Amino acid sequence: MTTLSRFEIHQPASVREASQMLSEFGEEAGFYAGGTELLLAMRHKALNYRHLVDLKVIPGLDTIAANGDRIDIGAACTHRAVERSGHVLEKLPVLAELESHVANVRVRATGTIGGNLCFAEPHSDPATLLLALEARLTAEGATGSRELGMEDLIDGAYSNNLQPGEILTRVSVPVAKPNHRSAYVKFQIHERPSLGLALWLETPDNAQTFAAARVAIGCVGPFPARVREAEAMLTGSRSELEKRLDDPADAIADSADLLDDHEGSAAYKRHLIHVFLRRAFLRAVGDSTAR
Amino acid sequence: MKRPGDFQVVNHSVPRSDGVAKVTGTATYTSDMTLVHMAWAKVLRSPYAHARIVSIDSSAARKRPGVIAVLTEDDVGDLYPYYGHAVKDHPLVAIGKVRFVGEPIAAVIAEDELTAQDALDDINVEYEEFTPILDVDSALAPGAQKIHDRGYRAGNFRGFDDQSIDIKGNICQEVHIAWGDVEKAFVSAAHIAEGEFYFPMIYAYAMEPYVAIADYDANGKLTVYSSAQHPFMVRQDLADVFRMPLNNVRVVVPFVGGGYGSKSYTKIEPLVAACSWKSGRPVKLQLSVEEAFLTTRGDDARVRIRTAVDAQGKLVARQATIHFDTGAYAENSPMVARKATNRIVGPYRIPNVKIDSFAVYTNTVPASSYRGLGAAQVTFPGESQMDELAEKLRMDPVQFRLKNLANRGESINPVARPIDADVPGDLREVAATLHMEKPLPPHHGRSVCCSASDAGAHPVTLAMVQVYGDGSVSVLSGSTEIGQGSHTVLAQIAAEEMGVPFEKVRLVGSDTAITLFERSTGASRTTTLMGRAVLEACREAIAQIKTMAAEVFGVAQEDLIEERGGVRHGEKRLTWPEILEEYFQMQGASIVGRAYLRRAGDLQAVPVFWEIGVVGVEIDVDEETGKIRLDSLATIGDVGLAIHPAMTESQDLGAATMGMGVGLFEELIYDGQQLMNGTMLEYRVPRFSDMASNIYLKLAQNQDGVGPYGAKGGGEGSVNPVGACIANALYQTSGVRIRRLPITPERVWKALQEKKESAASNSSTAHVLSKP
Repeated sequence: MTTLSRFEIHQPASVREASQMLSEFGEEAGFYAGGTELLLAMRHKALNYRHLVDLKVIPGLDTIAANGDRIDIGAACTHRAVERSGHVLEKLPVLAELESHVANVRVRATGTIGGNLCFAEPHSDPATLLLALEARLTAEGATGSRELGMEDLIDGAYSNNLQPGEILTRVSVPVAKPNHRSAYVKFQIHERPSLGLALWLETPDNAQTFAAARVAIGCVGPFPARVREAEAMLTGSRSELEKRLDDPADAIADSADLLDDHEGSAAYKRHLIHVFLRRAFLRAVGDSTAR
Repeated sequence: MKRPGDFQVVNHSVPRSDGVAKVTGTATYTSDMTLVHMAWAKVLRSPYAHARIVSIDSSAARKRPGVIAVLTEDDVGDLYPYYGHAVKDHPLVAIGKVRFVGEPIAAVIAEDELTAQDALDDINVEYEEFTPILDVDSALAPGAQKIHDRGYRAGNFRGFDDQSIDIKGNICQEVHIAWGDVEKAFVSAAHIAEGEFYFPMIYAYAMEPYVAIADYDANGKLTVYSSAQHPFMVRQDLADVFRMPLNNVRVVVPFVGGGYGSKSYTKIEPLVAACSWKSGRPVKLQLSVEEAFLTTRGDDARVRIRTAVDAQGKLVARQATIHFDTGAYAENSPMVARKATNRIVGPYRIPNVKIDSFAVYTNTVPASSYRGLGAAQVTFPGESQMDELAEKLRMDPVQFRLKNLANRGESINPVARPIDADVPGDLREVAATLHMEKPLPPHHGRSVCCSASDAGAHPVTLAMVQVYGDGSVSVLSGSTEIGQGSHTVLAQIAAEEMGVPFEKVRLVGSDTAITLFERSTGASRTTTLMGRAVLEACREAIAQIKTMAAEVFGVAQEDLIEERGGVRHGEKRLTWPEILEEYFQMQGASIVGRAYLRRAGDLQAVPVFWEIGVVGVEIDVDEETGKIRLDSLATIGDVGLAIHPAMTESQDLGAATMGMGVGLFEELIYDGQQLMNGTMLEYRVPRFSDMASNIYLKLAQNQDGVGPYGAKGGGEGSVNPVGACIANALYQTSGVRIRRLPITPERVWKALQEKKESAASNSSTAHVLSKP
């Protein structure tokens, strides 16, 4: 019923070779970048790959480097590596914090950020925050490389927009500046989170007013998404905003097409969005009473 | 009797005898084992909950290279293909009909596991679907189709005084107890609490899923290696299936990776044995966790209960009707119903009691034992109502309980052994540990609840010890080392009695061809019964050696003075091994001491002992999300004497953590006939991060049990009170009473919403309706 079928692992020396291997094996092959989700799907016959192309052995895909105003994270970096990276801890503490709470330490030591994004599990954490941070991605294939935005990567549950044979190689995230505030909050009762919410704010005056905002919601829909209707409602003075956070919360809930399922009723999820938008806001602005 | 402080080995937390092997991964479990020429089996499972099997075509599967045989209903005609210790209603592979989604309908035996798995796709089964009966109400509805439309034999270990079975419609088992006059008592009561409670379907998750290897050899003898909790029960079922004498069936149980009830009694062994019989090869069947979810679960229970008190706060009556959803086969549910019926009374003196229980067949995964056997299901409603009554009486819930708890020697059930524990003392200790009198932080609630379980099961326990001339000792025990530490505890007892170092004692077992009969490893009995049997077997061995010593010394036995580990005559001292060498004049000879415990003497009264559960919690409620977390947890193990204090405490912590699991998270969910969350990703068991911030583990050691040195069992009691503790603590801080487990965040949130709405409507209506 659930015994892993036989498969072969291939270890390419370069991204180009990995891409070629995938084209060669066709539909019977998939990329392998940690396997914490892939192997479960294979065990349950949701995927039936006979060949896995191992991206973790490709030199250079597991580095984390400061690159001016950005931090470039190799797609084969494990969650644990991101969580413990000096660059990330210093320049993107919100991402380090998120990564330190992904699944459990065994998953974090094995699963990779690129694998996580490309697998597009609807209840994953990193994609939601990276949407709000406007991360840029690099994808490479046999014919060259291209850049794409986070919003262009995931287009459905377990579905990404990469071309066959194309490999996500780098996640480039803008560093936090003194006038930025951000937070990622999640609600988790099961093995995977039921709700994830990321908030990014720009403030010219130490969190008294907010000039720009980005908000992304994850886990409640088939894939994480920015909610621009809500972002427009998240600018202005802090005191005003705190009074009318219910409006952007409703906008987020409206956009998410909430359903009754085993994670909870639509009404409860809507309520949670209100609770967690407020918590994200308080945490982002550094309110010490934030839960 | 020796007191704490007098013991050399017992009552000390010695290093576990299996600790190094388990921590380094070298301990052997059934899944680690391979036999020569061993083949593998895989199981085809029914996609329908309730259907007639029209035909099974396995010809294509049989032709697949690497496939040795396929086993279906067509192959089992020469066997007695039903098993069950209570009711022989469980076919080893579906016969004529399937009764739940996941029921084995065929097994492929192949040279390797993947070939067997692939060949399952080649089997074509034609079904005629019936309407599935998925809950108790549908099963009991007038005119409901009978899930079992034929009669069955009673199992050999049914456990009821009346061994006949009486399946009426879809009722697998009824149990009724009553004393006093309940109706009269309710009429004159000062306060009554009344309500309906629901305890969910659960899975007693163990890290090791079911696994067995069977070898039906050319001489017609059967050897089975299994993860079974009760090897002798399995032996009996296998002997019946193959119509063999007991000595032709050998069941060997190596280390077991946890059971918690899920591995009690026979599971996959008859199917694997039939695969070996059919194929002529040793066969291994290793289930996945997902398949284990489809093998056994815990009974869910709907409990309608009312409890009455007089104006002074004395309990006067309790009445309950309990419906268990037992699933497709009886398994151990008749006994779960029996035990729950006794256990819903609690550790209280209640003069008028009437309890009616029904275990009901449905087309769901068969339910069986879950740690505490029915006690968790009924302690939740019983102890919730104790707090409801305390509120009506305006009494402190702890004081209210103390007023009604049975003291040592008092009876809570007219036909049972009187209480052999200090329940009020246990309750006071836990309440003091949690500082129940201290003001609560915001959003915090506290509760202490208790239970009393008639524990130990039927006392038939046989043991042998082998004493060697080199000073080593082997204990031959049919108790299963299932992680609870019995191999360590039994070795401690032997070391204590024989006066040898703990390290020189070896545990042998369980192996039904070598170790003597032990009814079961469950109901918290092993320390009490097997521990006592080992002690008595040691004493019997010593008596033999003393006779030998008299001969060696050339004196009368009465002139020998026994000292721990040997005897003295005048200035001369000889140890037991020295006496054996003198006696046999050869190295290597050993003698056997044995003990046969049965229901007689001080083991005549039932239960063997009362297992007391007293647990206190302090919770912290996030009223915005409804999420509850445990701030503090306090347990007490009223175990007579803790042979191994550290393991006794960790049994309580493990039990309370399981109680928290069903209190907050665990619930099997059916969507129609499909089990929706039968995987470890979706079935939420407790994690380390869920553990209480403050944990207090206490022991009560009053040496008041019938076990060795006054010991009694532990390890199940602390499961029972936790659900009610959480519900009561939530009520205390938030004013909402939840009568359904688990108490999930959404259920708390909904209850808080309803409370707000009703407060809003009450305040408006109260204004209108208020009378001058």
